[in-house]
Amino acid sequence: MTPDMFYLLVSILFSLGLIGLVSRRNLFIVYMSVELMLSSVNLLLATYSKVLGDANASAMALLMIAVVAAEAALFLAMIIHLYRAKQTIDSDRFDKLGEGRKHA
Amino acid sequence: MIGGSVAMILNKQTIYSAFGFLIAMIGVAGMFALLENRFLALAQIMVSVGAIVVLSMLTILTINAKEESLPHEPNKYKWILLSSVLVAPFTFLLYKTLSAAHRNFAQMETITSKVVGKALFSEWVLPFEIVSILLLTAMLGAIVIARKEEIVKTEEIIKKEENV
Repeated sequence: MTPDMFYLLVSILFSLGLIGLVSRRNLFIVYMSVELMLSSVNLLLATYSKVLGDANASAMALLMIAVVAAEAALFLAMIIHLYRAKQTIDSDRFDKLGEGRKHA
Repeated sequence: MIGGSVAMILNKQTIYSAFGFLIAMIGVAGMFALLENRFLALAQIMVSVGAIVVLSMLTILTINAKEESLPHEPNKYKWILLSSVLVAPFTFLLYKTLSAAHRNFAQMETITSKVVGKALFSEWVLPFEIVSILLLTAMLGAIVIARKEEIVKTEEIIKKEENV
């Protein structure tokens, strides 16, 4: 077991989150992709904690987990609110700010 | 774990993606355990698996979106393929950059909660407090955002009356 394996895993997870973020339109999947990216960063912090033999990175990762929890609460509340407003979870339907532009 | 995340991206039904996400989160916790970081593994299981995934599944089931209110994505696989091709060099670059830094694990024993706790309450006290305030604010904000039902309803009624 080398750190390389973990680095590869972190890269792949982050990229999967990025792919899901840009290519899907379901709000829940967008949310889960963001969570996946944050988790991959957490994993990187834990890997560095092990590589450097230092607990500070672990403390940082722990704070990150708290931030992830706060983000989850806000995002889910926002999804509920958006769903109530328009009865859909399609992120392309929430384009009120772009109303000035031409619709394709 | 990677399979779980792929399933998360590909599935049409939201609840199946949530299951994929669950598998991915448990996998991350397992990776923490493999890194001999027990405290983080436990925290990951408790927060991500226990709270976040369950919360999102609850929200998905509460909303209970019908087939027609799910986004219509005819070119989904095309988009995913395109973005994968676009992201692949970035993945490679990320991997190369990360693995250039350190190649070996330091020789040390398990990072226990004792060590993490000491670091957290000596050098990381201020960030810790800020995070607690952030959590409180996020909780309040979530309640305020999710509660607006009555206001939205009155706005709808006003709109209907205007139309009539």
